[in-house]
Amino acid sequence: MPSLSEVQAAFSAAIFDPAAAPPRGVVGPDRRPAPRRFGVYRNNVVSALGNAIAGSFPAVRRIVGEDFFRAMARAYVLAEPPISPVLLDYGTTFPDFIAGFAPAASLPYLHDVARIERLWRESYHAEEAPALAPDALASVPEDELPRIAFSLHPSLRLARSRYAALTVWRMNATDEPVTPVDISAAEDALIVRPGAEVEVRKVPPGGAAFVTALAAGETLLAAAETAQAADARFDLAGNIAGLLAAGALRDIRRA
Amino acid sequence: MSLISKCLTSAAIAGAIAAASASVTAPAAAAEQEKCYGVALKGQNDCAAGSHSCAGHSTVDYDGQSFKLVPAGTCTTMETPNGMGSLEPKST
Repeated sequence: MPSLSEVQAAFSAAIFDPAAAPPRGVVGPDRRPAPRRFGVYRNNVVSALGNAIAGSFPAVRRIVGEDFFRAMARAYVLAEPPISPVLLDYGTTFPDFIAGFAPAASLPYLHDVARIERLWRESYHAEEAPALAPDALASVPEDELPRIAFSLHPSLRLARSRYAALTVWRMNATDEPVTPVDISAAEDALIVRPGAEVEVRKVPPGGAAFVTALAAGETLLAAAETAQAADARFDLAGNIAGLLAAGALRDIRRA
Repeated sequence: MSLISKCLTSAAIAGAIAAASASVTAPAAAAEQEKCYGVALKGQNDCAAGSHSCAGHSTVDYDGQSFKLVPAGTCTTMETPNGMGSLEPKST
């Protein structure tokens, strides 16, 4: 007689493998195997998880259309079932799945749009925290400024793309009509929720490297150098103003 | 000291900070914004697993394995005809 955990493992494995026979012990009132009944159950599980994915990635859904999205979500659910009981966390790997999903290869920006949607949700559910006041930097003595570092806002996320994923996402985040987009321009998106609403902003040149360096704990001077090396167009004042306005900074850390 | 470091003197950084601070007005106080706890984001809590949607009642969803579908949503009207996007095969 198999143990309960063995029964559960077999049951679970059969759910996510449409070719698998119903698990032993799944029988109808006549005590005979009930593949059709199990099929209904399996379909409900896969369908419900697909609904969760559809709810989390509305822009991707709008971009590819309902039929394509449903089929892609189904493939994802079967390939990568939830590993956590928290439905909220399901779909974390969906952007990577899209990147490797051959039928979606004609839309090379699609997984980046999915990443924006995923990070938007992470930001939405991140810890609450007040953002650094814009005038807080004025209290730091001038000669200390190069050596200060920042702790960043807990809801801050960065979504980088070789394509105009941010423009595409923005255009599909609402039901408004779409217009042609030149997707060849790389765009990085800064996602942060300083208050109640998640705000998504386009990152200026070098800004992504700047934020990444700050997140790693680098000093203002070191992060600025990193950003300048990454992109000669990097503008320190503009980037700091942008981060302050976005509420992306939380605290000043002095050495 | 690198060439870049020379450009980024503390005075330059102070100038940048001053310019940045002056150009930013304080965002609306967080207290003015109220997050509605318990109000689920659409599609996150209302998609209860095991719900008996009509779609879930059939034994076999449409066959996702025979993947003849092509993207048909807004992507067909959104991209520029001459953009590098839709026809470029993915490198991965």
